Amino acid sequence: MTTQELATQLQERFDAEQGEPDGLASPGWLSVTVCSDRLLDAIRWLWEDAGYRFLISAGSDLRRERGKYLVTNLFAQDEHGIYLAVHTEVDPEQPSIPSITPIVPAANWTERELRDMIGVVPEGHPDPRRLVLADDWPEDLYPLRWDVEHGIKPPPSDCQVPREPPPEGSSVVPLGPYFPSLEEPAYFRLFVEGEEVVGADYRGFYNHRGIEKMGCSVLTYNQIPFIAERICGICGCVHSTAYCQAVERAAGIEIPERAKYIRTIMLELERMQSHLLWLGIAGHIVGFDTVLMQTWRMREPIMWLSEKLSGNRRVYGGNIIGGVRLDIPTEVHQDVLDMLDKLETEWKALYKSIPGDTSLMARLRGTGVLPHELAVERCVVGPTARGSGVAIDTRLDHPYAAYDRLEFEKCVHDGCDNLSRTLVRLDETLVSIGLIRQALQQMPDGPILTQIDEDIPGGFEGFSGVEAPRGEVVHWVLTGDENRPTRWRPRAPTYANLQVVPPMLKGSQLADAPINIASFDPCFSCTDRMEVVDMRTDDEYD
Amino acid sequence: MAGYESGLKVTQMTLALNLVIALLLGPLMAGVVRKFVRARLHSRQGPPVLQPFYDICKLLGKEDLRSSSSPIVDFAPIVVMAATITAALLTPMGMRSPLAGHGDLIVFVNLVTIAVVGTVMVGLSSASPYSLIGAAREIMMHIMVEPVLVICLIVAAVKAQSLLFWHMAEGATAGGMSISMVIATIAMLMAMQAQIGKQPFDIAEAETEVMGGAFVELSGPRLALFQWASFARQIVYASMLAAIFIPWGIDLAPPWNLGAHLLKLLGVYVLVGIVDVVHPRIRVEQAIKFFVIIIVLSLIGLGLAIGGY
Repeated sequence: MTTQELATQLQERFDAEQGEPDGLASPGWLSVTVCSDRLLDAIRWLWEDAGYRFLISAGSDLRRERGKYLVTNLFAQDEHGIYLAVHTEVDPEQPSIPSITPIVPAANWTERELRDMIGVVPEGHPDPRRLVLADDWPEDLYPLRWDVEHGIKPPPSDCQVPREPPPEGSSVVPLGPYFPSLEEPAYFRLFVEGEEVVGADYRGFYNHRGIEKMGCSVLTYNQIPFIAERICGICGCVHSTAYCQAVERAAGIEIPERAKYIRTIMLELERMQSHLLWLGIAGHIVGFDTVLMQTWRMREPIMWLSEKLSGNRRVYGGNIIGGVRLDIPTEVHQDVLDMLDKLETEWKALYKSIPGDTSLMARLRGTGVLPHELAVERCVVGPTARGSGVAIDTRLDHPYAAYDRLEFEKCVHDGCDNLSRTLVRLDETLVSIGLIRQALQQMPDGPILTQIDEDIPGGFEGFSGVEAPRGEVVHWVLTGDENRPTRWRPRAPTYANLQVVPPMLKGSQLADAPINIASFDPCFSCTDRMEVVDMRTDDEYD
Repeated sequence: MAGYESGLKVTQMTLALNLVIALLLGPLMAGVVRKFVRARLHSRQGPPVLQPFYDICKLLGKEDLRSSSSPIVDFAPIVVMAATITAALLTPMGMRSPLAGHGDLIVFVNLVTIAVVGTVMVGLSSASPYSLIGAAREIMMHIMVEPVLVICLIVAAVKAQSLLFWHMAEGATAGGMSISMVIATIAMLMAMQAQIGKQPFDIAEAETEVMGGAFVELSGPRLALFQWASFARQIVYASMLAAIFIPWGIDLAPPWNLGAHLLKLLGVYVLVGIVDVVHPRIRVEQAIKFFVIIIVLSLIGLGLAIGGY
């Protein structure tokens, strides 16, 4: 199905109008507006019949521009390579919208966030609790409305934290609020009987830094990549790339070929170091410190190389709207290739030794099972999805940068357990090595940056997905007039993956809980961007 | 009378010797293994060899903070340390042990159990869920591992026709290796790995799961005593293994018999250290399954020993 056919279908079935003015009118991207009465029908058709995968929703306060709130649900069709934005306008007098969570369970968090941040109530949502805002944040103060200033600090107040009580006969084992083995703020309350986990409650979003608000009220277009990179401490480059691509799409900027290749190389370097980092931490969590020490030793040359290229131990500061700021000169190519050769040799040896390690296999095989159906239903992404046999990879399904010119395959394993997720990452590191070699070989000469002489016009939308080491990063941008976006909505992959953790933990062994959680490679800070939460076991809304 | 006096002298000397080995060589050996086995296999520099001493000294000098008013927290560290030291005095360490004539296998097993029970009691006296889980795991592991230890020692006792360790050690050296003793040695090695909480059996204290288990609420001097006792316990087990199940060198003239013992200890420590480095932690129910097999194995060994093999 092409985007044109999709537009016609949506028009006929649900009176969906194509948006205007539209930065998304290129093959692979479509943006439509559906009125709120037909929204549920349209979502049901997309989700149940047309095979669309839910990404995220974004609420925008457009009362100045159009006198409305705008709710945008983003979807992806991976077989046909289509990204779809479904807009619904909401009357400020009656700020509510029918909730899509009963149809699309994966929309649970993002709809609660919509209520917290914009004040548009998803009617019929199964969970009335706050997601992002602190429990003592004042009622009727919605941070992402344009007339709420950036940087306000309401005084703290006493309040009751809505916590889920443990099931009868079980006791609570806390993992957090400072996650002990990942050293990040996340709070799992595990309900335990003996050594078995019978349920879990998640509370997160402690690490809100107001990044979206900052992007829409204080920063300018070219300052945002700097902040976007700091959404994550490990995979920053994916965020700045996704943001820049979204803005470039909105403004119709074509970036030079060489810049596309450089972005590809930066992203793959990042994937390699991230997967090595993950493997080390996974080893540490199952008490196998030798894995931690050896993989981090193997990872070190990647960091040195990044430092050589960008001045930072990770490739930061490379992206800018219109291209890249750092070049990869020919003199450095040999260094990169040498590093890759060494890493490949060591990685292959490691790969060979893992299946032979019976006690490691005893910890990984058959533990942390995420069934294929659950993975599809909750729209998990990245190695977490591919470890459960869901063959999605943004690099191939929705090509960006230079990926459409490189030869590679999706790494999919269908064991649905910790072992499969580990193997996916082991495979992907080898794929990354191959990708960088190809990119270096094919990279054309030329400029690395398109000069942008005119201002970026307001009122356009742009939307981009990037395959981060942890899964698909999505950035959605609505351009504005003051040299900054009206709304910028990043979604980290962990936002999608973390929602599936409580149902997955149920029935597992307590000893496996840390590795089960860590096998998703969660990045809590990425997910948090914002303020406080809870999450529950699935039976509450099933 | 002359014989009595010289016997007394030997006892005093070995008393000092066993104390030094348990309290000082214990931490030192741990430091050596950390630096030259663990760190090398990790491609690391590793901490100084004397790091275990630095840790103990630092902890001993800290404020005595406590999270529970239970008297158990007062007494347990002392009881655990005392039980471990007494067990050390029963253990032949190259020479005849100072309490050789005063306690046998049965006393030793009870002393070891007292040390474990002390740890468990401390864990249970805290309100922390990690501590409770750690204590539960500790006792589960002990229930599975203690029979192995006992059966293996009984194998040696059967071979020597005595419950006294010195007789077992001499008997094993004189009699050479037999099938039953080989089996017992293997089972004893496995049991030791679990008794001293090394991978793959670092289950009770699992840092990334239960934050040190029973010890999570302890700090300062009390934690220091537990750590020190744990180093001493390692050397007691290693000595038991070296003296009785590696039958060589005990009949050499002093001080060569002591030298031989230290050499065997080093071998045991390096072996344990390597096994520790190349394994992840397994789950408690996997460990229990494993030790069921080991118990059966050691029972077979016992049967063979009774049958004279």
